[in-house]
Amino acid sequence: MSLFISQTLAILEKDLRTEWRTKERLSAMAFFAFLVVLIFNFVFKPGSPIMQSAAPGIFWIATTFAGLMGLGRAFAIEKQNDCLLGLRLTPADPGAIFLGKMLGNVAAMLLLEALILPILVIFLDIEIVGVLPRLCIPIILGTLGFASVGTLFAAMSMNTRLQEALLPILTLPVLVPALLAAVEAFHGILAGDTLSEVASWLQLGGAFAGLFCAACLLLFEFVLED
Amino acid sequence: MRRPYIPAFVFGILALIGLTIAPYMALMYAGIEKDMGFAQKIFYYHVPSAFMMYAGFSICFISSILYLYKRDKKYDIWAFCGAEVGLLFCTLVLLTGPIWAKPIWGAWWVWDAQLTLHLVLWLIYVAYMMLHSYSEDSLQSAKFRAVLSIIGFLDMPLIHYATKLWRTHHPEVIRGENFGLPLDMKIAFYFCVVTFLMLFLALLFKRVSLEKARDELESIKADIRDRQTILGQVGSE
Repeated sequence: MSLFISQTLAILEKDLRTEWRTKERLSAMAFFAFLVVLIFNFVFKPGSPIMQSAAPGIFWIATTFAGLMGLGRAFAIEKQNDCLLGLRLTPADPGAIFLGKMLGNVAAMLLLEALILPILVIFLDIEIVGVLPRLCIPIILGTLGFASVGTLFAAMSMNTRLQEALLPILTLPVLVPALLAAVEAFHGILAGDTLSEVASWLQLGGAFAGLFCAACLLLFEFVLED
Repeated sequence: MRRPYIPAFVFGILALIGLTIAPYMALMYAGIEKDMGFAQKIFYYHVPSAFMMYAGFSICFISSILYLYKRDKKYDIWAFCGAEVGLLFCTLVLLTGPIWAKPIWGAWWVWDAQLTLHLVLWLIYVAYMMLHSYSEDSLQSAKFRAVLSIIGFLDMPLIHYATKLWRTHHPEVIRGENFGLPLDMKIAFYFCVVTFLMLFLALLFKRVSLEKARDELESIKADIRDRQTILGQVGSE
């Protein structure tokens, strides 16, 4: 078990280090997410109450789209110089490779979300300071659910003719319950609901994250092998 | 010579007989529902379609697990054909739903839990088909599709729960109607279910035999290519 954890951490460290040295992926993701938020300001009437009630949706659309872009990149870099083959040749457990990759994506997504939230506060004039600790729970659950399914599908879509273009087609329909849970819980908390008032949404988000983290961990083996 | 595929033929004939009688059973034999009127008739086609959709997706799910476990091509064929026939019936559900929804709810599309679930399932299995079309390697495609089908099937209860929670106010007409049916409606309904089951099985078996034939053709082609290269080598020597 400790071997599994050390393998996972090694993969995670590798991913974080490559990201730290290039900063390519995160900067592209952050800029893209920023643009998505900006575009929404043109679509709706600026400063209208519709914008404020749409804030949770805008937040999740920005993170999901930017996240999908980042997930595609996470495996695209592994394709260069046949790095994925190298990873497969290591004695690492496929589950550990998956978990390492997934946690790398979770880290990137959480950083991205930390950047988008202040932008949302500035542009949409929403009040989050008081509810921020509560708000973290649906955000983390949603991110875990997204990263688990997304990492698995990213590995799959890289091996098709469409490459990254297939990733959103595979991921978004499956992600519907996680997104609904994340948006509704976000919405409720922003409106002043306590955690117990949005409990059913949090349970759904937790169930999705738990179920698919486990399922993807087991299924990744089949995606990785040749 | 391939022997003629008997199950597809038998179920096909039964489906043909059933489908000629089904309109009579649905339109004439069963009485007019007092609240919904004539629009309710679509249920004799809509609900059986939904049943067959679940049957197809379940076959796909079970065969996918068996494929990943046993690595036998025949399970992949069953999974693919199950998904394809399931998707066909899912499309029928999505097409017949609005026909009923327009006169009853006053809109073609309502974001009702049941409707949303079927739409999302439809999208997942369309993605499954796309994964098949855009794969470069057939062996890899089979594994990827199996993985997607398992994920999609596991997602089904979550989508159902999520959409229910999201749209709590939706009328429970569909289920309430099924239970308290008068006898004539019940007979017509079960007749349609059996007919659709026959149609489902006919399509499924036909599709599986077609896919098996295609698989056989591919292996024969590969065999001929091998022989030609050997002959070519012998000839040049």
